[in-house]
Amino acid sequence: MIDSLCDQAGGKDIAVVGLYCDFHAHREQSTASMLGAILKQLVSREGIPEHIREAFQKTKKEFSVLGLRLPDLVEILKKAIASLQRVFICIDALDESAAKHRRGLLQALRDIVRASPNVRVFLTGRPYIDDEIVRCFNGAVRIPVSPTENDIRGYLEMRLDCDPDPMAMDNDLRADIMRIIPEKVSEM
Amino acid sequence: MSLGSQQVSANINSFNTLNTCNSFNACNVSSGGIVNFNTETDAEGRQILQWLSPLGPQQRHQDVRIDRLDGVGNWVLETIEFREWSNKEDGSVEPVLFCSGDPGVGKTYLR
Repeated sequence: MIDSLCDQAGGKDIAVVGLYCDFHAHREQSTASMLGAILKQLVSREGIPEHIREAFQKTKKEFSVLGLRLPDLVEILKKAIASLQRVFICIDALDESAAKHRRGLLQALRDIVRASPNVRVFLTGRPYIDDEIVRCFNGAVRIPVSPTENDIRGYLEMRLDCDPDPMAMDNDLRADIMRIIPEKVSEM
Repeated sequence: MSLGSQQVSANINSFNTLNTCNSFNACNVSSGGIVNFNTETDAEGRQILQWLSPLGPQQRHQDVRIDRLDGVGNWVLETIEFREWSNKEDGSVEPVLFCSGDPGVGKTYLR
């Protein structure tokens, strides 16, 4: 998704930023660190704005190891987004983030979207978080994803071509696999 | 010959774990976006980026684009929902698009 949007953006003043949530990273993936990762990508395009540098130098002087406060982070994000023509924020596997951090992230995104007409948000996740998303964005457009028969065929071909033991395969078996699996999957 | 549903679902699940295979097309390194990450040259700049967030999604992104099978899931990009969401610049379009599906159906690997 990120690559398609990047291609579409070309050299224009459009930023595409992304984040992958992970079950194994609950400790690191707090609301602030996820929003910080988005901000980081936005500001590393054009160089770090002076106000972020100043905020950093201030905390350094105070011998603080803390990052930005969440409300400040959201405000800085809005500012960074406003300086661009369009911004696409892509977040993969939202369901894999810890529930409380996800709630914080969605609320911050809602705040940002309301203030920024030039922002688009793309989310993926398991169906059980549909409700959470709709609660934050009641008009959110949902596309249910399941592989098409063509997707399955393409994938099977690739896997069969990578078979580490091709001698165990004959044309009949290959034909059976290519016929039956896509059929079965599309019935599911 | 018929296949048990368990076997079939094992096959679908492996959508998630596409492994290295030499026949994958190499991805173009596109300009802008996630790949430009962390290019800040001065030492303070790098410190600031680290301070903003310790997370580095670019590595995961590289893994995904290497493992992605071209063409799979491209139908999503052709949907009217996606096109409107990505093309329309005015406020007439809903800003949030959500692809939902069970694990392993290929959401992460949408191009």
